[in-house]
Amino acid sequence: MPDDEPDPAQPPAAPGAAAPEPPRPAPAGAEELPQPKIVEGRRWNVSLVWLLPALAVAIGASLLVRSVFLIGPRIDIEFASADGIEAGKTEVRYKEVVIGKVESLSLRDDLNGVVVGVRLDRPAARFAVQDTTFWVVRPRIGLAGVTGLGTLLSGAYIGTDAGVSTKARAEFKGLEAPPFVLRGEPGKIFVLRSFDLGSLDVGSPVFYRRTKVGRVVGYTLDAERDELSVRVFIEAPYQRLVSEDTRFWNASGIDLKVNASGLTLNTQTIASVLAGGIAFENSSGPRRPAPENAVFTLFADRSAAMAPPDGLPVRIRMVFDSSVRGLAEGAAIDLFGVEIGKVTSIALQYDAAKKRFPIEVFADIFPQRLGPVRNALLQASPTPAAGDVAVLQQLVAHGVRAQLRTGNLLTSQLYVALDVLGKEPGRSAVLSDGVLTVPTARGTLSEIQPQIAEIVEKVSKIPFEEIGKDLRSTLAGANAAIGRLTPEAQKALAEVQKTLARAQASLDNLDRNVTDPGAPVQQNMQETLLELQRTARALRVLADYLQQHPESILRGKPADAPIPQR
Amino acid sequence: MSDRPLPPSDPGLPPLLGCESCGLVSVDALAGHPDRGRLVQKCSRCGHVLHDRKPMSVQRTWAFVVAAAVLYVPANVLPIMTTVQTLKREEHTLIGGILQLWADGSWGLSVIVFIASIAVPVLKIGVLGLLAWTSRHAPAWRRLERAKLYRLIEAVGHWSMLDVYVVVILAATIRFGPLAGVQVGPGLLAFAAVVVLTLFATYAFDPKLIWDDGDPARADGTTASIATEPRHAGRRA
Repeated sequence: MPDDEPDPAQPPAAPGAAAPEPPRPAPAGAEELPQPKIVEGRRWNVSLVWLLPALAVAIGASLLVRSVFLIGPRIDIEFASADGIEAGKTEVRYKEVVIGKVESLSLRDDLNGVVVGVRLDRPAARFAVQDTTFWVVRPRIGLAGVTGLGTLLSGAYIGTDAGVSTKARAEFKGLEAPPFVLRGEPGKIFVLRSFDLGSLDVGSPVFYRRTKVGRVVGYTLDAERDELSVRVFIEAPYQRLVSEDTRFWNASGIDLKVNASGLTLNTQTIASVLAGGIAFENSSGPRRPAPENAVFTLFADRSAAMAPPDGLPVRIRMVFDSSVRGLAEGAAIDLFGVEIGKVTSIALQYDAAKKRFPIEVFADIFPQRLGPVRNALLQASPTPAAGDVAVLQQLVAHGVRAQLRTGNLLTSQLYVALDVLGKEPGRSAVLSDGVLTVPTARGTLSEIQPQIAEIVEKVSKIPFEEIGKDLRSTLAGANAAIGRLTPEAQKALAEVQKTLARAQASLDNLDRNVTDPGAPVQQNMQETLLELQRTARALRVLADYLQQHPESILRGKPADAPIPQR
Repeated sequence: MSDRPLPPSDPGLPPLLGCESCGLVSVDALAGHPDRGRLVQKCSRCGHVLHDRKPMSVQRTWAFVVAAAVLYVPANVLPIMTTVQTLKREEHTLIGGILQLWADGSWGLSVIVFIASIAVPVLKIGVLGLLAWTSRHAPAWRRLERAKLYRLIEAVGHWSMLDVYVVVILAATIRFGPLAGVQVGPGLLAFAAVVVLTLFATYAFDPKLIWDDGDPARADGTTASIATEPRHAGRRA
């Protein structure tokens, strides 16, 4: 600003008191230029700005240290495919908390899978131990529910279940599906053995009294035993409901049955009808909780499950001569009405000697269903070592025979009844190749049929035609004979007439002698009757007297009472 | 061209100082004074501190450059931004963002972000380091080009804040609760610090040093310009 222009004439600022030393005079030729004020400055030769890089280094170092401490171990996980996994993005989570990230993706050397390199966070270093499991969480939509829905938007992530081992491990084999159950979840796992999975799947519910208490957590097909192992998880506190004699059955779908017992329909909840499920029930009586991983049989339905324990079956063979139409595999074998087994197979045989087609029926008998009978027969058995076979042999020895019977007239289903039918002695159950052959008897219906057939056959054997012919010729002969006999017959009739006339005369005579009132026979008869009348009167008097004087029989009639003297 | 001689100074004039505030030209009263580093001259008219070169210019430049270079590492390593979408959380680093843009096909955008976020800070740190080093150790080397470089980084320096602004605006505007959100990462703080520090470094460097003869006293502004005095004297003589 021009106003502030200092006067050049004005002496330059006094070499202030601050200046300890008077400045040297300005060099020549500079007199007209203003002199600056001179003040004491700072003493520091080193700029304080250097604190800044020091601070930066400190920050950088702290970040470095922190990141070094945050970086945990690196692990490799093998998966069959890297579907949904992205290097640098896919997270590893434990209970939905991020504990690491996928760093790299590479193929296995044999191209048979992928190796996912994961950098765990430092606090999650304890996950890199022997028994930790990893799997890829993807959306799974099933009838039993939807899981991993979040991954639809966020992409797949790697789920993990912490191991408890202390042994470190860096290479893992990833599971292809979430594990059966997470470690630490309260409850128990049980193994159910089954021949058929039905509509069960992982996640299918397990019901107890139609309440969901658990779920199917996995199943494996045991190729060696040709059997399925279904693993179920029963959540706490319901795991206590499972005891050693608990029965599990497959409650999948609708159980509709038409058999010798009629029509049976069983269902669980609608959800299990659609998605399948397992139900279990306890038999009454004291219960001991089953241990973890206890093995049970998964029955096909409730009735099979709740049947008394069967024990080992005894295989029997029955040979029937008649048709077995209506007898199906699985048909009941009952003893006096108690179901003790079922038919396992039916086969047609050929008997070359008799030229017939006997039908061979194999069945399984569960002797334990006999209950006390079995025990009694076992004790009475001459060969206790033979066990249940001996029981059946004894039954047969008592006259028990197999017989086909109609169980249901509507469906004409047959069942095999074991009943005391045998009259013929000497037939016994023969054991060969572990199969007991039980003698059979004709069925009730099949027994009647041949008898009727026999009658019909006999009737049809009667020569009705010849009989008719004979009858007719006989009649013709009779007719001719009668024709020839006629003149003699007329003569005979005339004789008969004469005879009759004579008989008439005799009768008239008799009538005159007997029935006429003046006939002597009549007179005599009348007199006789009068005499009889008098006799009867006398007898009456006697009887009256005897009644009044019974002593007279012994003493005689007493003397008449003396006439009183006048 | 690199060793272009200094323009001849007028021998008849004493060493002068221009006031950076009011423009008054004063005599350098302390020229050749032994206590020059300790004493401070002030403008007789407006009282602004007078100095022929920015005090401790090279030293301060170094300090800022070193600090910026150190912080440049976390700026690149740490995430500058965390985007939170529904059930998905993603962290972005500078390089990662650029690579993603490139991979998505936005090459132009990728180049722009690369220049603003990577090239410019690196260039500034490098150029300032070069200027600070040459002013002491190779004063005569390509003075004009060095001056042009200085002007370039001075002009381009602010643009590195682009990234910072973008992230801060995103973080301030995108707030949809659990559906979407952007959080500022620690890397952005470091990156902003790098940009600011390079700006400070640019400011701290005195471009006049390019034209000096590598005189440490002038460059640092600490010790007395004893060495200069004979030069001036000699020149005057």
